[in-house]
Amino acid sequence: MKKFVLGLATLATLGFTSCNSDDDGGTPVVTNNVTAPDTYVFERDAASTVSFGGQTTRIQMAQEIVSGLVNTANTELTLDNMFAHVENANDFSDAALNASDKSVRSKVAASTDYFAANTTDASVIKSTFDLYIQDQVNNVFPNWATTATSGVAGQIQQAGGGSTRYVNAKGLEYNQAFAKSLIGALMVDQILNNYLSTAVLDAGDNVANNNADVLDGTNNYTTMEHKWDEAFGYLYGNEDNPAVPVLEADKFLSEYLAKVDGDDDFSGIALDVFNAFKLGRAAIVAKDYDVRDAQAEIIRAKISQVIAVRGIYYLQQGKANLGTDMASAFHALSEAYGFVYSLQFTRKPGTTEPYLTKDEVLLLTDQLMTGNGFWDITPATLDTISDTISAEFSFTTAQAGS
Amino acid sequence: MKKLAYIFTLMLIVAACSGSDDSDNGSGSTPDNYNRAAMQTNLADNIIIPRYQDLKTGLETLATLGDTFTATPNQTNLDNLRAAFVNAYKDWQLVEPFNIGQAEVLQYSFQMNVYPTTTADIEANIANGTYDLTAVGNNDAVGFPAVDYMLHGIAATDTEILNKYATSNYAAYLTDLIAQMNSLTQTVLTDWTTNYRAVFISSTSNTVSSAVNKFINDYIFYYEKGLRANKFGIPAGVFSTNPLADKAEAVYNGTISRDLSIIALDNVQNIFNGKATSTSPTGEGFYNYLIELDRADLATLINTRINNARQKIQVLNADLKTQVETDNTKMTEAYDALQLVVISFKVDMLQAFNVSVDYVDADGD
Repeated sequence: MKKFVLGLATLATLGFTSCNSDDDGGTPVVTNNVTAPDTYVFERDAASTVSFGGQTTRIQMAQEIVSGLVNTANTELTLDNMFAHVENANDFSDAALNASDKSVRSKVAASTDYFAANTTDASVIKSTFDLYIQDQVNNVFPNWATTATSGVAGQIQQAGGGSTRYVNAKGLEYNQAFAKSLIGALMVDQILNNYLSTAVLDAGDNVANNNADVLDGTNNYTTMEHKWDEAFGYLYGNEDNPAVPVLEADKFLSEYLAKVDGDDDFSGIALDVFNAFKLGRAAIVAKDYDVRDAQAEIIRAKISQVIAVRGIYYLQQGKANLGTDMASAFHALSEAYGFVYSLQFTRKPGTTEPYLTKDEVLLLTDQLMTGNGFWDITPATLDTISDTISAEFSFTTAQAGS
Repeated sequence: MKKLAYIFTLMLIVAACSGSDDSDNGSGSTPDNYNRAAMQTNLADNIIIPRYQDLKTGLETLATLGDTFTATPNQTNLDNLRAAFVNAYKDWQLVEPFNIGQAEVLQYSFQMNVYPTTTADIEANIANGTYDLTAVGNNDAVGFPAVDYMLHGIAATDTEILNKYATSNYAAYLTDLIAQMNSLTQTVLTDWTTNYRAVFISSTSNTVSSAVNKFINDYIFYYEKGLRANKFGIPAGVFSTNPLADKAEAVYNGTISRDLSIIALDNVQNIFNGKATSTSPTGEGFYNYLIELDRADLATLINTRINNARQKIQVLNADLKTQVETDNTKMTEAYDALQLVVISFKVDMLQAFNVSVDYVDADGD
């Protein structure tokens, strides 16, 4: 499939080319003479200055953990160890991941802006993921062959001979809740609230060093360049060729940016995000921090939108299948649960606030889990939750839900 | 889907930036004078309802011969029942595209033709002796694929199959399967003749919920999923790392899947041309609709592409599972020819009709 997809960079180039030839006075992007390259390629002395290996590693670790959550051979300890990997522990199928000193858990709810002075919430969030693992192993794995009913964990098959889903007593698939919550707690939080934050980009002597082209140790990049690239890596780090991303390179943010872009109501969002990453990085090279920060705000707005659109989309998908195909409904609602949870890591541009606070998010997830959870949920409640979310954004429930 | 989205993005960029020629095409502002009610009436009265009546007759024969067989499970009765199964399965091919009205409400096609059937579920149902055949989780243990298994797959030889029917649970399951198929079909047919026909021929506006728009979408979805993907793409391994020959249709019978697919493709073409059968004159339908919209080029191209695809299918083994196992290239060639029609339907025809696609690809996770 992917080989047919035009790379975003190709589109960016074509878009610029065709618009540049159009001399009817269209408003150019104000970039203070900072020019973004066509692709995410930045070099110093003919060698690349781009590096985000740690992000690629964590994305790949996260994929193995999510797969591990539906392998009943795994114990709670096995999965906990994968989640909180330590260097050279034999946790993964990929030797390179085992050798790494990185772990997923250490970067969950770990951004400078949101959690440096809020370890209390950070601990609760990390333990929420621990609980998903614990309940999956202790309550769902033993019921793998049981038919799920209201209040009873087990398996339930989608219509049309479709996939079999494994749910807890309330109909929640922990593997989906884990994966979609991780998009917020790891990818979105690290990108929006850590690496694109001035507190990180401008930390210590970063500005002076970047201005004077003082490199980070033996590396070929300045620290500020590297921080920006690490943000880039949490979205594009699993691409075959990250300089020309095609998206859907992982099951996390990469996939869902593509999905939202595929909705006519939001088409172009993927290109907007990529262009902002390129221009912001070019601005760092040009030492223009106003342009850099303007791009960070664009990325914050757009990626926050992806989480909200996808949350509402799955709430509405769940609503459409309630009653006729409960397994499909539960699958969609489990994805929705994770995306709604992830809203607390979004970032309103120009502020240090999420679109929905932790407390607001927990009110919504609590509504999903009231009583026997998805077995009891009503279409009206799903609409109310959808509308509560869309009211904080510039789109409607109907636009997101289609 | 995804690649189209990018291509559309590209088109939008180019369109938005390519100078001052303000021709405002494709916005749907052109009024559409085609008589959609006449098309719907032709579809309902000459195609949809008669095909359901044919299927109902075929299933009643199947039930009768099924009763004869379960009362006296001998080779003659088994052969007669198998022949009735093949005939009814052919009748089914002609109604599968009509996932509208009660068929949609009941998820009729999910209860009639989900394959591969899950034989472990069937055997578990038989062993338990109690089951709810309408349960969503039994979609892959009922319908034609389940009957196919019951008549050809439950044992290696006919003698052993006949022995199985000495056990009352096997006989009961077969009887219940056929009764369920009859009951569902009767419900759908009765709704068409007493209720839904009136809705179908009067709901002709160009909105996402009108019967015309839904029917067009159902038709294309069936072509893309039910015909192209299920009968060819999935067994040929188009969507997987390796071919999955066992996912072909009617694998236990093992001799009819090519013919079923040709019947299905003929049916798609007849619906397109508004014809009751291949030898009927062209009636009101998508072909005439395109002609009315000055798109004779596209109307002709679609028929040409369907004819090309049929030629690619006609050279295949009578059993598509065998074809995958012996020369899968011919399968993928047939798939490729079928895929060209998807593009004509889903992109060009829908654009001409100014109708939006109302379904999206499943997540796949």
